[in-house]
Amino acid sequence: MTKEIIRFFILFVILVLSQVVVFNHFCLFGVAIPLVFVYFIIKLPITLGTNWVLTFSFLLGLAIDLFSNTQGMNALACTLTGIIRLPVLRLYAPRQDDITNPVPSVGSLGAVVFMKYAATIITLYCLLFFVIEAFAFFDIMRLLMRAAGSALLTFVIIIAFDGFTSRR
Amino acid sequence: MRNLLNFFIRYSTWFVFVFYVVLSCVLLFQKNPYQHHVYLTSANTVASGVYDVTSNITGYINLRDINEDLQRRNAMLESEVIALRNRNRQLRQSIMQDSLRQLDSIGGFEFIIASVINNSVIKPYNYITIDKGKADGLAPEMGVMDQNGVVGVVNVVSDHHARIISLLNPHFRLSCKLRGNDAFGSLVWDGKKPTEALLEELPKQVKFRHGDTIITSGYSAMFPEGIPVGIIDGSTRGEDDNFNTLRIKLLTDFTTLSTVKVISNRDIVDIRQAEAGTAN
Repeated sequence: MTKEIIRFFILFVILVLSQVVVFNHFCLFGVAIPLVFVYFIIKLPITLGTNWVLTFSFLLGLAIDLFSNTQGMNALACTLTGIIRLPVLRLYAPRQDDITNPVPSVGSLGAVVFMKYAATIITLYCLLFFVIEAFAFFDIMRLLMRAAGSALLTFVIIIAFDGFTSRR
Repeated sequence: MRNLLNFFIRYSTWFVFVFYVVLSCVLLFQKNPYQHHVYLTSANTVASGVYDVTSNITGYINLRDINEDLQRRNAMLESEVIALRNRNRQLRQSIMQDSLRQLDSIGGFEFIIASVINNSVIKPYNYITIDKGKADGLAPEMGVMDQNGVVGVVNVVSDHHARIISLLNPHFRLSCKLRGNDAFGSLVWDGKKPTEALLEELPKQVKFRHGDTIITSGYSAMFPEGIPVGIIDGSTRGEDDNFNTLRIKLLTDFTTLSTVKVISNRDIVDIRQAEAGTAN
């Protein structure tokens, strides 16, 4: 049990650091920014209570905000993503399957289901984040392009990262 | 009473959710960067520590470009020094005094050199973090420039680090004028490209040409007059019948910022008091 907690804590630190040091400066074609810390929300165990999921998502968003001078934007988007995570998963995965491994991954859910789940969460997060960011600065074409580009880039990076790290 | 408690416990998820959303919204809607607390910005200890380490490591990547830029600037300054020395000599002979009064514009200002440890150009609101703070004499609302032009204004200061509102941030409006003309307007970034900004509120009767230089007007306590900001680049967009809006190509290269100078104005307390109407 504590080994899992330590693993998640290390994952949290690695994701925040890599986002802040490396991925914040990527900007493909001037629009797409990878937001790889969403991986942490995707990987939270299904059996974890929603209160804890919300708390961890909020802390993740707050940590990214501290480093990126984006006060509150990531925190709000992460909290919203945290609460719709379980309904999205229930939408794609049948109820009985995941008793074996509570952590969602390619091994426990099957590649197709995991990819659909990850893609939905990532796209929703990117859309939420850029809409919140655009409250003062409304240019719908640019917003859609940024959300779509970042979602695609983040999806590719996260699937690759998951392929390296999760056990079969 | 017990029913109320049971209600809270059963629907605790929603209460936790609403609590976090409200907390994020409170943080989010402090739109004005002048009110941010230092702990929530990149000038706090943890964030600035991480950025110090990474900028030490990545500092070598841009060195060649910075070197060429500095050499070019050096050559320009050396020739300017020679010209000024000659002029001084001639003036001294004609006035027959031992020393000349210092030009007001440069006299009251001091520079504090700092390194940039975090920068961004791709967000809608961009900030820069530097490695000098209160202990080095920085205070909020000091102007910041580098060897090419204006960079921004100091916003939040901790003991050894500070956050600067970049010129690429629509919260920052700079009072600028055309070189050679006293008419002034407001320079503001429009959020599109990191190399261009808009000069607004320029009176319609002012004559300008493609390629003219825009400089600081000196109408703020943050920047002395005459610091180059950009070059007029192309068409005007007349939104208002009385004012022109010009597209300006910025002289500062925000993508390779490494060393900046913070301008410390010794008269700033006086000026702020006069502006606030509390001077005697």
